[in-house]
Amino acid sequence: MSANGAVWGRVRSRLRAFPERLAACGAEAAAYGRCVQASTAPGGRLSKDLCAREFEALRSCFAAAAKKTLEGGC
Amino acid sequence: MLRPASLWHFCRRPRSARVPAENLGRREVTSGVSPRGGTSSRVLNIFDRDLKRKQKNWAAQQPETTKFDYLREEVGSRIADRVYDIPRDFPLALDLGCGRGYIAQYLNKETVGKFFQADIAENALKNSLETEIPTVSVLVDEESLPFRENTFDLVVSSLSLHWVNDLPRALEQIHYVLKPDGVFIGAMFGGDTLYELRCSLQLAETEREGGFSPHISPFTAVNDLGHLLGRAGFNTLTVDTDEIQVNYPGMFELMEDLQGMGESNCSWNRKALLHRNTMLAAAAVYREMYRNEDGSVPATYQIYYMIGWKYHESQARPAKRGSATVSFGELGKINIPEGEKSQ
Repeated sequence: MSANGAVWGRVRSRLRAFPERLAACGAEAAAYGRCVQASTAPGGRLSKDLCAREFEALRSCFAAAAKKTLEGGC
Repeated sequence: MLRPASLWHFCRRPRSARVPAENLGRREVTSGVSPRGGTSSRVLNIFDRDLKRKQKNWAAQQPETTKFDYLREEVGSRIADRVYDIPRDFPLALDLGCGRGYIAQYLNKETVGKFFQADIAENALKNSLETEIPTVSVLVDEESLPFRENTFDLVVSSLSLHWVNDLPRALEQIHYVLKPDGVFIGAMFGGDTLYELRCSLQLAETEREGGFSPHISPFTAVNDLGHLLGRAGFNTLTVDTDEIQVNYPGMFELMEDLQGMGESNCSWNRKALLHRNTMLAAAAVYREMYRNEDGSVPATYQIYYMIGWKYHESQARPAKRGSATVSFGELGKINIPEGEKSQ
């Protein structure tokens, strides 16, 4: 670890905001989860980027929520 | 026999990236041979004990360390129950991997005369919980006990043996330091622990990155545990399993709690990095696949409790084959007194 833990502290505080932003994107997260779960059914095969579309939606919602909390201020 | 064939390790963005980031891609089995070159290739070297000590020290000196104690407190109290169940008192006892002393706080002076608290992390020993039993704190690695043979009447161990590299040897050492007619009561995490987390991370990593790397520790199977105890020389074994399910708001809170408990991954072949996208994907999958009605997500901790005795002539032995004097067929002819007959 670095001497004052500055980088780690920054990363941690960013990570602490994740649950809140994830809560704001419930629908997209559920859609992505359903897509992945469907591939685990018998006969399905999970491969890379199988649910890329749903994940993109989730990621952009997540980024939008991040910007909102930044602008809204804590 | 020593570990299940497929290894899953828990990765938690290690703060000291001493292991270089490994290639992404499918990992099937990690053999027991240490990549760092142990003293002999026969010795299992899965976990970085040095890193585990640092993680436990860090966890113990956090500002709110009692927030993460719930699991250890619960298992500590159940082990204390098992100690009370034995109608005996123990003048000298050892707690291996004691943390802050979760078992000692539930026991009393009559049951245990003197308690040796042994742990690998000095910060945990410094903040030990209050107990009425006189204790001695010792800095000990569970893999090499510095005690003489036939020292202790009782050895307990709560939720720390799952980070030991050579579990057979650790159990043999415990057997060695026990007095004849001494008892070992242990609790360790078992096969199904954190399976939700393991599956979510695996699915998310496969979908996002095309392959997956083990993130959850390998856990011993219950059959193997019986064999290991027998091989170490214990008699009259008892192994029972218990499942504790804890609900969390989400996957990130679960991972934060695991890190706060000092249970971060420390295996040599852990991946140094868990991508933010993968974490996000895994949290979404976890929530979708496993959530409860109220929106929280469960995490399962499967605990194996084991009791083993060191041999002493006074202990009951199984009868010799062919020495039966009555047959099982005569069970039906046993007369039950009228008043006690159930319907």
